[in-house]
This record gives sequence, structure tokens and C-alpha cells, in this order.
Amino acid sequence: MNKIREVVHPKSVAAAWTARREKSDATRYLAGGIDVTLYTPPAVSTVIDLSALDLSSIREENAELVIGATATMTQVRESKAVLSLIGGFFSDVLANVASPLQRNLGTIGGTIASAHPWSDVIPALLVLDARLALYDGSERTIGLAEYLDDRSSNAVALITAVHIPRPESTVRAAYETFVRTTFDVSTLNCACLVDIVDEVCRSARLAVGGTPALARRVEEIETLLVGQRLTAGQIERVASAAADAVLVRDDARATSAYRRQLVRVGVSRCLERAASAGGKDGQ
Amino acid sequence: MNISLTVNGVPRTWPARAGESLLDLLRRNGLMSVKKGCGSGDCGACAVLLNGRAVNSCLVLAARADGADVVTLEGVSDRGAMHPVQEAFLDAGAVQCGYCTPGMVISAIDLLTHNPDPSESEIREAISGNLCRCTGYEKQVRAIQDAAARMRGDRDE
Repeated sequence: MNKIREVVHPKSVAAAWTARREKSDATRYLAGGIDVTLYTPPAVSTVIDLSALDLSSIREENAELVIGATATMTQVRESKAVLSLIGGFFSDVLANVASPLQRNLGTIGGTIASAHPWSDVIPALLVLDARLALYDGSERTIGLAEYLDDRSSNAVALITAVHIPRPESTVRAAYETFVRTTFDVSTLNCACLVDIVDEVCRSARLAVGGTPALARRVEEIETLLVGQRLTAGQIERVASAAADAVLVRDDARATSAYRRQLVRVGVSRCLERAASAGGKDGQ
Repeated sequence: MNISLTVNGVPRTWPARAGESLLDLLRRNGLMSVKKGCGSGDCGACAVLLNGRAVNSCLVLAARADGADVVTLEGVSDRGAMHPVQEAFLDAGAVQCGYCTPGMVISAIDLLTHNPDPSESEIREAISGNLCRCTGYEKQVRAIQDAAARMRGDRDE
């Protein structure tokens, strides 16, 4: 059980970061608070409440969708701007995250900062090419993949927003997750995004998570899709190549052999669904 | 630390213990409709309305509720008259052991507040975080459909 005895209520992003930096081992940011409540180590005595920082807006800005870090999963999922993104792709992903009771609490920034390997949100944001707005003494943006690769350097940085570039109307995306029970975390998940013009894939992104390591792009497989027609045969070849390329391991949920099979099936389903989706205008 | 919050319309200032959840804070102060089931956000028996949205109170640090508006099942009735969702649960016989019922009612109130005319699938999704080990959900779903009709004024209560 956590030993939190104090809550501070900073009035600015800078003040929140300063409070976190000054006692990094003894403090945590408090947004939705699910992970803080469940997983905070006993050494943490103080939480830094982010609720007064006005970081929950969801807006269009310079051809980007900007989601404030403390927007809840429910707010993001129900946002018109998010619903209009690639036929509601990201909203559909969020519908599979935990239960409505938890989605009313959990925030987009919190789930990224927690960076759970089974996260359903992270693979989707990776294929959406999301960038994070961070504050660590000054404001900067960083690609989500870069943030995840170097979390130790960014541990004290405060995520203030998630930036998602508005894709072309020819872009389609799909998501697949494998779970043992409805609210269990993913045994494996994957997401893909393809830009298809005249039946040819112009660009592609593919991410696989719950391997059981944290989700990553699979760029060597993405290149196999570019310039190709996504026929059933091509999808099967790419899915088989992905099963060989993605590093999977055993854990309590599944063996590596089973996960390898899930990669093949998940990538295949994602690509089939994206190829048949018809772009955001057609969904 | 002291937590100041509004509970069922009444301003309260309660001392919270280190690491205490909102669930435990509420129960220590007599709000026993808020059930302690799993303690990990899986069962929904501890659901309350936090600033108007249904949440697992076991996943809310008491400190996070400082300044918040909290409604428990004790607070949904109106001057002694049951809430239409409670009435509908009673009429449909949507209760067996009753342990999940407070959380189920809170989730239903959240749903009907934001979506007065939900489909059956929307109802099932809304209560998907509330586990019932007795009834199989059919009567709860029918009760919420009935409550929605009552709250829209489509049928007599």
C-alpha cells in the first residue's frame, strides 16, 4: 500500500515540475491517480495534483489534434475531434481500454507516463505518429517513440499534451488486441496505419505491444508494405514476416510461440481491416 | 491530512490517512453503500459519482478528491423518494444479494445523465465495469431501459 501523506496543488506547470524535481524519489504527479493508488512505492510521500493546471482541453491546432494530458479516456473517446480522426480509429481503441468506470478516471498523459507494456493506447499513438509536449524547465516536444526509449531521462518531465498530426483523407488505420478476459490486459496487441492511393500503399506504420515488452514500431515490416497492393497474399506474407521479426517472450500470460502466432494473426487482421476500410471518408 | 469535499450535497472536511482511498474514507465516515469488493478497480462495487462521472472509488486517492463533489447511493434519492433508477431496479427484481447494486445504480445514473435514450449495447457497456455474480445482468439491463423511459417521461413511474 502507498504511504502518501501530502498533496500539493501547484498553480502552474512550472511549479508542478519544480515540486517534482526537488524531491524526485518522494513525489509523483497525480492525474487520474489509478497507478498512483495501486502501484506507488512506499518511499513516495507526496503527490503533485495536476487538476488545477487546465491541461484537459482537446482541440484542433495547426493541422494537429492536441489532447491535453489530463483529459480522461472518456473525454478523449467522446471528443468530436477524436471521433472524426480516421473514422473514429482512436475512439474505438479507447473503447477497449478497461471499463467505463476506469476510463472516467484514467488520463491520456497518465497512461503514457505509466508506459505499461500491455497498454492499448501506446501502439495506437505510435502509428498515429504522436508527439508529446513536455515541460522540464522549458517547453519542448518529443516523439512518443523517443520518449518511450528514454524514459529514465524524462521521468521528471511533465507531459502536458499529446499532438497527433491530422492524416490525409486516404489514410486508414486498424487495431487488434488479444485478451484472456474482457478486462484483462492485452496478451498482445497491434495497430497499423496505411495510406492507400489508387490501391497502392504509399506509407505504412505498424506497432506491436504486449510482447510482453513495451510497444514498438516494426519499421522493417512497414517497408514491405510501401509501394504494394494490400492483396490477401501480400498481407499474409507481411504478417508472416512480422511474426519472424517481432521479438516475443514467455510470461505468465502466454508462451513466446503463442505470441508469435498472435503477431501473425493480429497483423493480418489489422491490415485486412485497414485495406478494406476505404479511408476516413468512407468509414 | 484534511480533505475538504462535498458529499451528497453536504460540505465535509475529513482527516484522511496516509495512502487512503476515497472508498475507505467514505466507508470510515459511514457511507456504507460504497462496497469494498476487489480494491483494484475490477468489480465496480465501490462506484461513486466523482464530479458527475462514475468512477471506482477504490482507485481514487482520497487526496485527489480534495475539493471534489462526490455522490454515493445515499445521495441519489430526493427527499426520501427513490431515484427512478432505484425504483426500476426494485420493480424489475434486478437485485439478488444486492452487493453490486449500489455501484450498478451509480453507473446507470451516469449513463442516463449523459445519454437519456441509450441502446441496449450502450447500457451493457455502461455497466460492464460492475460485476454481478448472481443474476446474469438481464434484469439490470431491463431495469435501466425502464428507468430511461421513466426519466424521459415516456411512461408512468
